[in-house]
Amino acid sequence: MKLLAEILVYGAVQSAVYALLALGFCLIFGAAGVVNLAHTAFYMVGAYLIYTFMDLLGLGLYLSLLISVIGVGVIGMIVQQFFIRPLMKSEMSVMMITLAIAYFVQELILSFYGPVDRNVRRFVEAKLTIFGMVDIDSQRMLTLAVAVVLIVLLWLFLNKTKAGKAILAVAQDREGAIFIGINPDRVFLQVIFISALLASIAGAFISPTLGARPHMWEHPLIRCFAVVILGGLGSLEGAILAAIIIGYSEVVVSFAVSSYLGELLAFIIILGVLIKMPSGLMGSKTGT
Amino acid sequence: MKMRSKESWRSRCLSILGRMVPYLIVIGALSIVPVFVKSYYIIDLLILCNIYAVFLASWDLLTGYTGQISFGHSLFIGGGAYTAGLLNFYLHLSPLITIPIAGLVAAGFGLGLGIPALRLRGPYLALATFAASGILSVLTSVFWKYTGGEDGLYGISSLTDNIVAKYYLSLALLVICCGALLLIVKSRYGIGLLSIREDEIASMASGINTSKYKIVIFTVSGLFAGVAGAFYCHNQLHVGTEELSLSLSILVVLMSVAGGIGTIIGPIFGGYLLIFLNEWLRFVEDFRMLIYTGAVVMILLFLPRGILPTFILMVRYLIGTRISRSGD
Repeated sequence: MKLLAEILVYGAVQSAVYALLALGFCLIFGAAGVVNLAHTAFYMVGAYLIYTFMDLLGLGLYLSLLISVIGVGVIGMIVQQFFIRPLMKSEMSVMMITLAIAYFVQELILSFYGPVDRNVRRFVEAKLTIFGMVDIDSQRMLTLAVAVVLIVLLWLFLNKTKAGKAILAVAQDREGAIFIGINPDRVFLQVIFISALLASIAGAFISPTLGARPHMWEHPLIRCFAVVILGGLGSLEGAILAAIIIGYSEVVVSFAVSSYLGELLAFIIILGVLIKMPSGLMGSKTGT
Repeated sequence: MKMRSKESWRSRCLSILGRMVPYLIVIGALSIVPVFVKSYYIIDLLILCNIYAVFLASWDLLTGYTGQISFGHSLFIGGGAYTAGLLNFYLHLSPLITIPIAGLVAAGFGLGLGIPALRLRGPYLALATFAASGILSVLTSVFWKYTGGEDGLYGISSLTDNIVAKYYLSLALLVICCGALLLIVKSRYGIGLLSIREDEIASMASGINTSKYKIVIFTVSGLFAGVAGAFYCHNQLHVGTEELSLSLSILVVLMSVAGGIGTIIGPIFGGYLLIFLNEWLRFVEDFRMLIYTGAVVMILLFLPRGILPTFILMVRYLIGTRISRSGD
């Protein structure tokens, strides 16, 4: 019974982080057709920036959160404007350049911070006990809460505001959007800003529990793929559903067998779903 | 009439010979290198370049020529390397036997991946190939008792003990494999591959069995990558997870793109250039990888065709000849 409750809680936290990451990845793919392999590099930069501002420079929590999150958003816009946009005609070039950028960021971090793990101070101290039996640190619960709030906010933004509807319009039909006076280049900049913002928030909130490492972008990228493929590339609802499925199945497998199998699971999901149902659970576009 | 056909036959032979001259010059230059270069370090590096050239050229056949984006070339390389490594480690088979078997196994992987991959295109295919190589990589960790896990297997037997002889073997590998790849892409068959890349539906409409072409290309690409992977394993005397890793796949992609994909020669050139750039940058060891990755980003951004095709275009422009097909 205790194990079940633990799986329930840890799985929820895991799913929330994956959902935050995958939503950003999905958003920029849906709107611009950009497979942004540097997406989890934003997540890593978020973790390192919060470490720099909060632990090295000693700024307050809120100020350093604000600076690092906005900072990563601006980095995302720079990447979009100067590196992705000139190559956007070819999907393959975009994948290569974002991959090269991800490696560049990794090397940048290695030369500035070295290969050692950095510990980030917790945002909230205190142990929580949930359901009267699961001990979980409050940092994880905070991450879960923030993720849920952000997902709701993103939904509201996309469906209720004009800017959000413009994004959906561009995702649906780029030329049609141009006809009604939407500038797609500007929308792409907004989208990458939001996407980088979500990734950096995930990175910043997860860094006190996992630490900041120069290779921390690789594993989440694979999970991100698995989530997005399972949910259907470009479908936001699908991404959330898939994040829950993958988050929980990974926690179950890790609890029951070993963490190797968790990774194997992600790969098998990617390959299996691509081959058997390329449109994923809720995708509208197909892979063929 | 008879005279004329003989004449045209002779001129055709001459033009083929003429086109082969640049290749012959490069092969000649590479084969006299050990006469002048006595440093084992440089020779070792050249052996590495020759092996990588086959990795890159076989990737280019699949992605550059046929347009089937693969981010999982380490599936073939590592598949070949592990086959050769396991056969040699447990059964003590000589490299002469392990390398062909490794090639066949990797070709089998190519066939096995090529059939389901028929349904996929673009980024979807890239992710699928990437996941396939990831599965094999995790499996080697799961069966660590047999594969040595993260450390891999040490004590694989060497091809020969003489480093110069090893260099000539690697050169032979390069000439045979890349020569075969070049023959494929310059043949009628190669034009079919290009048509699949440019417009799959149109090439189907013109009677090309695109499914068959794609499966064959996956198999052939796997075959050459597997042979080179086995050679690599016997060269390093070690087989380990780095040969199956995502970073190797990515290195293959980045080197090829920097060199100029869709030309076979371009990626080979890119491989030589980036491997030597990487070594040359050792004098700034702390920032080596930073400069290296930065340089790759800049090449991708400013020379999207790749270095060699851009260079050739520039030379043609400078000497004023008409710019014909790009990257030829």
